[in-house]
Amino acid sequence: MAELPPSTSVRRWLVTTNHKDVGILYMITSLFFLLFGGVLALLIRLQLWVPGDQLMSGLAYNEAVTAHGLIMVFWFLSPFAFGFANYLVPLQIGAEDLAFPRLNALSYWMYVLSGVLLGISFFQGGTMDAGWTLYAPLNVPAYTPSIGSTGAILALAMFVVGVTASTINFLTTIHHSRAEGMGLMDMPMFTWSILATVWMMLFAFAALLGLGLILASDRILGSVYLSATEGGALLWGHLFWFFGHPEVYIVFFPALGVMLEVFQTFSGKRLVGRKWVIIAIVLICIQSFLVWMHHMFLTTINLEVKTLMMATTIGISLPFDLIVFALIYTLAKGRIQFTTPFLFAFGALLLFILGGITGVFLGAIVLDYEFRGTYWVVAHFHYVMFGGATALIGGAYYWFPKITGRMYDEFLGKIHFAVFFISFNIVYFSMFMAWETPRRVFSYNQDFIQIHQFGTIGGFILGFSFFIMFYNFWKSYVSGPIAPDNPWEFSRTAEWAVESPPPLENWEGRPSYASGHLEFLSDDHGHGHAPAATDGGHAHTGNEASDYVLGDKHASHASIWPFAVSFATFVFLLGLSGIRQAMSIGAGASPLDIGVTISNPMYPTLTLLGAVGMLYAGVQWGLEDFYAPPAEIANRWPFDHVEKNKLGMWFFLASDVLVFGAFISAAVFIRIAAGWGTWTPIPDQIFGLINTFVLLTSSFTVILALVFARRQHRTGLVASIGATMLLGLTFMGVKAFEWYEKVYIDGVFIGSVNPDLPYTAVQASVYFVTTGLHGVHVLLGLIVAAFLLVRAYQGHYLEDERPVEYFGLYWHFVDIVWVFLFPLFYLF
Amino acid sequence: MMDLFALSHTGPEDWRAQAAVFEEIFFVFLVIGTLVGVIVVAYTLYHAYKYRDTGKPDESFEPPILGELPTGDEGPKSRKLFVSFGLSAILVISLVVYSYGLLLYVEQGPTDDIGSDAEHAENMEIQVEGFQFGWNFEYPNGHVEQDTLRVPQGDDRVIRLNVTATDVWHNFGVTELRIKADSIPGQYATTWFIPEEEGTYLIECFELCGLGHSDMDGEIIVMPEDEFDEWYEGTMEDDETDDDTNDEANDGNEDDDGTDEEGDN
Repeated sequence: MAELPPSTSVRRWLVTTNHKDVGILYMITSLFFLLFGGVLALLIRLQLWVPGDQLMSGLAYNEAVTAHGLIMVFWFLSPFAFGFANYLVPLQIGAEDLAFPRLNALSYWMYVLSGVLLGISFFQGGTMDAGWTLYAPLNVPAYTPSIGSTGAILALAMFVVGVTASTINFLTTIHHSRAEGMGLMDMPMFTWSILATVWMMLFAFAALLGLGLILASDRILGSVYLSATEGGALLWGHLFWFFGHPEVYIVFFPALGVMLEVFQTFSGKRLVGRKWVIIAIVLICIQSFLVWMHHMFLTTINLEVKTLMMATTIGISLPFDLIVFALIYTLAKGRIQFTTPFLFAFGALLLFILGGITGVFLGAIVLDYEFRGTYWVVAHFHYVMFGGATALIGGAYYWFPKITGRMYDEFLGKIHFAVFFISFNIVYFSMFMAWETPRRVFSYNQDFIQIHQFGTIGGFILGFSFFIMFYNFWKSYVSGPIAPDNPWEFSRTAEWAVESPPPLENWEGRPSYASGHLEFLSDDHGHGHAPAATDGGHAHTGNEASDYVLGDKHASHASIWPFAVSFATFVFLLGLSGIRQAMSIGAGASPLDIGVTISNPMYPTLTLLGAVGMLYAGVQWGLEDFYAPPAEIANRWPFDHVEKNKLGMWFFLASDVLVFGAFISAAVFIRIAAGWGTWTPIPDQIFGLINTFVLLTSSFTVILALVFARRQHRTGLVASIGATMLLGLTFMGVKAFEWYEKVYIDGVFIGSVNPDLPYTAVQASVYFVTTGLHGVHVLLGLIVAAFLLVRAYQGHYLEDERPVEYFGLYWHFVDIVWVFLFPLFYLF
Repeated sequence: MMDLFALSHTGPEDWRAQAAVFEEIFFVFLVIGTLVGVIVVAYTLYHAYKYRDTGKPDESFEPPILGELPTGDEGPKSRKLFVSFGLSAILVISLVVYSYGLLLYVEQGPTDDIGSDAEHAENMEIQVEGFQFGWNFEYPNGHVEQDTLRVPQGDDRVIRLNVTATDVWHNFGVTELRIKADSIPGQYATTWFIPEEEGTYLIECFELCGLGHSDMDGEIIVMPEDEFDEWYEGTMEDDETDDDTNDEANDGNEDDDGTDEEGDN
C-alpha cells in the first residue's frame, strides 16, 4: 500500500497522502463549490430584480441565502486557501510532507464528503434556511423542521472535524519540521500567514464544534439549550460570534499571505517593516477573540461591555493599517512588473482598503445601530472577504507554473483581471448605494430597483469572469509552454528552487538554511543523493540536533483508510440526519419496557452501518504499517525535543479543552441568565464522588501502564491497561445508574422535567448534554484502550511505548475535565 | 435620507431625534472616510505607476535572491511606515471617540426633566412584540394593535419602545426614523423616537426569521394629537365592549391604563 499509483489513475487520488496531491484536490474541489455558491448568489440576485418577484418561494429564497453563505465561507474560501497551504507550506519550510500525511488526506475527504452531505440536504425536505449565521431559536426543529436542516448542521460538524485535523497537522508541521536554520521569524510570509491562521483556527473552530454539537443535540436528542427563554438565543449569539469573528480573519489571512509574497516578488523589494508586520499579524490573532460582541451591538448586552467591544474593535483595525501601509511602501523604489498575479494582489489591496474603511463605520456603535441587518454590512464583508480573496486568485496564477509545470497565458490573465475587477465593483459598490435594503429580503424600497438591477448585471459578469480563468488554466495545462523551475525574476522562497512540478519527496538532499542561505545537504542516513553544498557532514548546532534515530525504511505515501473513515462518517451522519423523524422511542416504566417504532428504516440502518464502518476503518488505520518519518534535523523552536506525535497530541488536547470550554461557558451563561442561585444540583452527590475517585484512580493506573511499558514488563502493562478499562467501565456503570435514577424514578429528561421537581428543562438539558459529552469521551477512550490491550497482549509497546504515553495524555485530559464538571453539576 | 437641518430645532433645545444624530455622524464619517480612501488609493496607485519596471538597468537595485533567508527592508522606509500608521491610528480613534459622545445620548434618549410636566405632552411607552411575521404593539392602556403603531405628533414628547419577541429572533427597524432594536425572545431591548413630523413610516424586519421575513412590514403613523386622542379613547371603548372581564380587571388599575393622565381633551 505504500506505493503510489500513477497520477492518471483514479485509485491514485483516492489513496494519496502526499501534500501536493492533497493540495491539488482541495484547489479543484473548492472551485467546484465556488460555482455552486456562485449559482446560488445569482439566483438571489435574480430574485431581487424587482421587489417581491417570486422566482423562488420565500422558503427556497431563504435556503439559497443560507447555503450561499455557508458554501462560500466554509466550502470555498478556506479550502481554496488551504489547497495552497497544503502544496506550498512544506516546500517553503523545507519539509518533505506534512507531519501527519494520512490525517491530511482524512481532512480532505471529510471536507468533500461533508459537501456532498450538504448537497443531499437540499433533497431532504429542504436544507437549512436560517441564514449562514443560523440564529437561535430559528435553528431548532420547531421553526426549521426539515430533515435537510439537520443534515446541513451535521455536514457543518463533519467539515469542522476535518478542519480540526488540518489545524493539528499544520501546527505540528510548522512547529516541528522547519529546515535547519529557519527560525520562526525567518519563515516566508505566506507560511507565516498560514501559521497565524491555524492558531486562530485551533481556538475558533473548537468553539464552533461545541456550538454545532449543542445545536445537533437540540435537533436530534431533544435538548432545549437554544429555545430556552433563559438566554438561549443570546447563548447562540455569543458562541457563534466568538467563533465567527476570528473566522473572518481565518478566511482573510491566507490571502494576505499571498499578497505579502506577491508584492515582494513583483516589485523586487523586500517587505518594509517585516518584523512589525509579523507582530501585527500575531496581535490580530489575539485581538480577534476580543471583539465578537460588535456583531451584537443591538442586543441587550450592557453599555459598558458594548463600549469595551467598540474599543477593541477599533483597536483591531490598527494592526491592519500597519500591514496595508507596509504593502504600499514595499512598492516604493521597486521595479514593479504588472503580471497577472500582481494585478490580482494589487487589486485585492485596493478592495481591502475600501472594505476596511467601511468597517470603521460599523465600529462606531451609533452608526452600527442603523447599519444592522442592512446591505451596508453585506457590502462591507464582501469587499473585505471576497476582495481579500482576490489575492488567492492571484496566488493561483502565481503558483500555476510550479504546480503544473506549464505557464499560463498572460494576456488572458490580464483580461480576466480587468473583467473581474470592474464587475466586482459594480456588484458590491451598488450594495453601498442601496445600503438601506434589509438583508435576506426580496421586497425592498422602489427607489433602489435600478441600483439592484445594475448590481445584478455586474454579478453575472463577475460569475462569467471565472470561466476566463478556467479556460486559461485548462488550455495552458494541456498545451501551454513548459515552465522553468523559477519563472519569476525576483522570487526567493524555497519552492522556486525545485522543479516544476516538484518530485514526490520534494528535495534532492536535505534543505538547510544553516549557512544563511538555502543549500541541499546530504546526510549519513542515506537520504539524499548528490550533495549540492560544500561539506556533507554538517555540524549540528545545539537545538537543531537530530531528535530521532531512523532506519532506512522508505516513507509511505498511500493509504485507503482516510477515505474509508471519511466515507463511513458520511454514511453515519447521513443516517443521523433523519433519525429523529424516522424513529420514535417510547419509554415505558423501566428500561426494559422501551417501544421502538421505526417509520423509515433507511436512516437507522445508515447510522448503524456508518458507526460500524467508522470503528472498522479506525482499527485498520491503527494497524496499518504507515511510515511517516519526522524530519531528522530541523529547527523546532519553541518546541525543541518534543516528539512529533506528542506535539500533535498536545495540539489535539488543546482543541478539546476549548470544546469543553464552550460547553462549560454555555452552562455558566444559561445558569446566570436563569439566576445562579435558582439551580440546585440535579444528580446525587454520592455518584459524583464515587466517579471522581474512580477516574482519579484510573489516571494512576494509566501512569502505571506507561511505567510497565518502559520497563518492558508485558504482564504489568496488560494488567494496568486492563485495570484502567475496568475503572472506566465502572465510571460508565455508575453514570448509567445515575441517569436511570433521574429518568425513570425522578422524571428528569433531556428536554423536560417532572413539574413537581425544582429543576427547569434547560437545566436538565445542560446537565445531560455536558456530562454526556464527557461520557462519550470516556467511551472513546475505552475503545482505544481495548485496542491497546489487545496489542499489548500481543507483545507491542515494549520497544516503543509512545502509544501508551499518548493514550495516557488523553486519559488524564478526560479526568481533568471531570474535575471541573464535578463541582459544577454535583456540588453547587 | 432626511434633511440634516430640518429637524431638531422645534423641541426642547437639547433634544435631537436619533435620525438627526445618525445623519450627523454618518456625514462626518462619510466625508472623512471618502477623503482617506481617495488619498490612500491615489497614493497607492501613484506608487504603482511611479515604480513600474521600465526596463532600464539600475546598478543600485538590490533585489531578493532565490534561496536567501527572508529578511525585510529595514531602511528609511520603516520610518514612513510608522508616520502613516500613527496618523491613521489618530484619525480612527478620534472618529470613534467623537461618535462615542453621542452614543451616550442615543442609549438613554432625551431625559424627562426639561421644564415641568404641564408644559409639554406626556411621553409614551409601547411594548413591541415581534412574531412570525408581524408586530404587536401594546399601548399603556393595555390595547394591542397589530402591525400599525399610531402615535400623536409632538416635537416635545418621546415615544419609548420596549422590544421583545414571542418566537424567534427578529429586528424592529424604521429606516426613516433611524431607529432599530433587536427583537429577541426572553429579552427586552429598548429604543426611542421623537414623533416630530406627521406621516407614515415603514417598519421592516432586519433579522432573518423564517418564511415571511421579507414581508414582515408594519407602519408607524404619526397623527395630529387630537386625532390620536380620539382614536386612543376609542380603543378603550372597543376593549370594553369586546371583553367585559378584562375591563373589570382594568377598573381596579386606573393608574396603569392612562385614563387619569389625559389632560388635553
